[in-house]
Amino acid sequence: MISRFLLLLACFLIVLPTQAQEGTAPSLKSIVSQNAPDIIKGSVRTAPPIIDALVALDDPSSLRFLSLWQEKDLWYRKSDEEIFVAEKREDRTYELFDIATLELVETLPKKQIKQIKPNSGLRALIDEALVISRLKSADMSVRQEAISSLSRLANKQHLLPLRGAISAEPNQALKAEMERLERFLTIQFGASSEERVSAIHRASDDLSVETRANLNRVTSSTMALKDMLDDDANIARHVIPGEADFSVEDAYQLLIDNDLAEAIPTASERTQFLIENIGEGKVGRFTLHNLDTQKNRDAAYLSLVAEGKAPFWSPGLSADILVEQFEFVEVYDERDAQVTQAAEVALEKIETSVALSEFVDVLLDAISLASIYFLAAIGLAITFGVMRVINMAHGEFIMMGAYTGFAVQQFVTNYTLSIIIAIPLAFAVTFFAGVALERLVIRHLYHRPLETLLATFGISIALQQLAKNIFGTQARPLTAPEWLDGALVINDVISISLIRIAIFGLGVLFFVVLLFVLNKTRFGLETRAVTQNRQMAASMGINPNFINMLTFGLGSGIAGIAGVAIGLYAKVTSEMGGDYIVQSFMTVVVGGVGNIWGTLAGAVMIGFLQKGIEWFNPANTLAAQTYMIIFIIIFIQFRPRGIIALKGRAAGD
Amino acid sequence: MQGPLTQFLMKNPSVLIFLGLLSAFTIFAAIGSEAFGIGFISTSMIKTLGKTLCFCLIAIAMDLVWGYCGILSLGHFAFFGLGGYMIGMWLMYERTRLIVESSMANAALPPTPQEIQEAIGTQIFGVVGGAEIPAIWAFAHSLPIQLALVVLVPGLLALVFGWLAFRSRVTGVYLSILTQAMTLALALYLFQNDSGLRGNNGLSGLQNIPGLDHVPQSHISLYFLLASAFALGLGFVIAKLIVENKMGNVIKGIRDNEARVRFLGYHVETYKLFIFVLTAIMAAIAGAIYYPQAGIINPAEIAPIASIYLAVWVAIGGRGRIYGAVIGAALVSMLSSLFTGGQIPNIEVGPVNVVWVDWWLVLLGVSFVAVTLYAPKGIGGLIDMIKMERTK
Repeated sequence: MISRFLLLLACFLIVLPTQAQEGTAPSLKSIVSQNAPDIIKGSVRTAPPIIDALVALDDPSSLRFLSLWQEKDLWYRKSDEEIFVAEKREDRTYELFDIATLELVETLPKKQIKQIKPNSGLRALIDEALVISRLKSADMSVRQEAISSLSRLANKQHLLPLRGAISAEPNQALKAEMERLERFLTIQFGASSEERVSAIHRASDDLSVETRANLNRVTSSTMALKDMLDDDANIARHVIPGEADFSVEDAYQLLIDNDLAEAIPTASERTQFLIENIGEGKVGRFTLHNLDTQKNRDAAYLSLVAEGKAPFWSPGLSADILVEQFEFVEVYDERDAQVTQAAEVALEKIETSVALSEFVDVLLDAISLASIYFLAAIGLAITFGVMRVINMAHGEFIMMGAYTGFAVQQFVTNYTLSIIIAIPLAFAVTFFAGVALERLVIRHLYHRPLETLLATFGISIALQQLAKNIFGTQARPLTAPEWLDGALVINDVISISLIRIAIFGLGVLFFVVLLFVLNKTRFGLETRAVTQNRQMAASMGINPNFINMLTFGLGSGIAGIAGVAIGLYAKVTSEMGGDYIVQSFMTVVVGGVGNIWGTLAGAVMIGFLQKGIEWFNPANTLAAQTYMIIFIIIFIQFRPRGIIALKGRAAGD
Repeated sequence: MQGPLTQFLMKNPSVLIFLGLLSAFTIFAAIGSEAFGIGFISTSMIKTLGKTLCFCLIAIAMDLVWGYCGILSLGHFAFFGLGGYMIGMWLMYERTRLIVESSMANAALPPTPQEIQEAIGTQIFGVVGGAEIPAIWAFAHSLPIQLALVVLVPGLLALVFGWLAFRSRVTGVYLSILTQAMTLALALYLFQNDSGLRGNNGLSGLQNIPGLDHVPQSHISLYFLLASAFALGLGFVIAKLIVENKMGNVIKGIRDNEARVRFLGYHVETYKLFIFVLTAIMAAIAGAIYYPQAGIINPAEIAPIASIYLAVWVAIGGRGRIYGAVIGAALVSMLSSLFTGGQIPNIEVGPVNVVWVDWWLVLLGVSFVAVTLYAPKGIGGLIDMIKMERTK
């Protein structure tokens, strides 16, 4: 019923500008013939009602007329200004066709007709109007495009045709999109309050930015003086200048705009007046060199005011006092109180869900950051945590793993296959690099831990520079296979990239495997035996040198795999190791040296802490990192052995 | 007639030797400089030499704290940088003030103090989108106060940090990692634009000394070389005074066996804290003399890697010998600028063309591993061996 009423109303609106006789339905021909002079002139000012009328006719011929108009295919007969579609013939005459039926009317030489050339502004207007016609196109991509252009530039006229198109739309996804657009249009341009309110209710489950933008448009408001308002103004709230986002200056400016106050000359304006009134090295009776304090300048200005040479000002004059005498309100631009009320409620509801979703999103972010820290630190948890070897080159092992992945991708172009090859290869490369490092350097330094730190630092700078010499300084991409490219989208706020999920999975896998290897296998038993008491282990028939070598190789190899994973998520550079080394050490130290559970706890704590601090201050990740490190420094004061501290003999020392 | 000083010098001839060599070096540099001498040493070379002397001073500090007290601090470059920032604030503020005042002198009205402040604020902080002068610049107009802050700020930071760390008995590699974390936190903090110290732009134009515009850089560089040499000499003497006294024995004892020294009744934490703070102040003074010669300071200079390089210098020079630290710092930093400056001819090794700019770090890293493995006492250890041969 309502829609029929609307249709009538629309027809009425359309008829108005064309001034057709009431009672007869407008047709393409009648509209065109009545507006022929305006169509020929093609001004952006007079054309919109004509275009709207033609669109509202909603029949193929009028839409075709519009696109012909836009494409400069319309001509008119100079004698009576009747408009035709024209086509050039070989003998330089033109065939004129009827605009509605496309029947040939007559053939005329070029002299007697003239082309209608709409300017680019008008063509854009017509294009906009034609969007509606494209909504009914049989080609789905055309419809898709029409919807996306509508969502940018929709106005009141588009609502009805859009509603018509929805029921005809066969594609479900497209239909949902249309319905969403229809909701937005109804919120903006709906005919009755009820209609708009119900559209707002329906939109309040949608967390998208567009919904919020549309609702915000409804609730857009301006500040106003209460006394200046009409009786039916839709007042949002009373505001007190100086509170929230309404400053005293804004309030005063409002008074000035309403001719209720004079502008107060600012300090620089007053200075300008002083400069303009300099005469013979003096301003009034003040000599220039005395005007180097604000107090003297004020005095000089007051003397100018007394002489009437400058606008009034006095030291006690302040906007605050003047502003206090008036009542300020925030007024919705939208007049309908029901609609604004509904929109505010809907916005609040959306804000709550968005905040909740953002919180979940931060949690997910924190988990994924924690798994990256865990991956980076897990190798270190073995070399440093179990063996107590400070390996400053750990970051460079991560880098080596990443570059191995990059190198593999140079030869294997199938990304899935290349990653499958890269992971064991990266493990092998860094495993042997670790074994070599242990054999050549670290073996000699087991009783001098601080010097291990320095020697491995030497290795670290050498490896870094070598990588720079071989692979260059620019960042190398490590491309993820296609199936890892997307993101898991839960709603408009929560989404998590599949790579991060994969990294999380890899972290969990490492954790379980290492826990198993260290606690349930012969090798793990021997490793723990050697690190706890080398002599005793040796007397039990364990070869400590061999076990140390293997353990160090294992820790390094894991760093290599972590490198491939981190390379997929961040860029591969020769300096990437340095980004992780300090964080990794902190992860291990905070978590508690000597067990994998501690590393997990450390990574989780650091990851959550960093994301948590970032949440409070999203603009500044540097600050988040700074505060996190300070927190860790303080944390270690209270738990020097980390979150999970080993007790008794196993604690060593 | 033997005073305590003569006694000290008699016992430690190395002090006299060092001071003699240092004076000879400075006189040589002065004679060779463009300012007063015959000019075969360029002004930029004089600056490099002066900066190297500052590195030697911070290396002495590192040797005291690491070589003698056993605390492998990876944060002394943070104190060095802080010292630089403190003096840099005065240099930059005063110079900007002079420039602003001279440019405002031609204005129609004589400027008010507020106007000058605003103009200085815009000049200095416009680059990070600010115009207000942050509160930490409150004393930037006063050279004496900023000079005091050169000592006080890093000293206080070291005091608080050291007190927290030593009190909870964080030792060994944990302490190293903790100092590294402190350095990283400071660097990250300074990288922020709203840190009040111009973010990653740092402070610049520090080579221009306010009020000394008429003095050419060749002279200023020589003055700073002299100042660096004086500070280094003083640092050497102080370090020697500490390590050759009873206190030196205690801190060496802490290095070798902390628990045993504690059982003997010494308050280990106080000794460690004293050495930590003292060396932080030495590092800060070195920084305060270094940065006016370098001309620019930014947070990247404070990054943890710089402090690790410091440990490298001291290790190569030889720990536990004050002169070793000086040799290490001078040698490695001079070699480093030589190699990366492109002065050493490139070598063709088969298919690989060894460009030293690219391969210097590899060489440094590998030689560092070799020193740690085969000459743990560094160059100083070699000198000891030669001495032993002689006395035999």
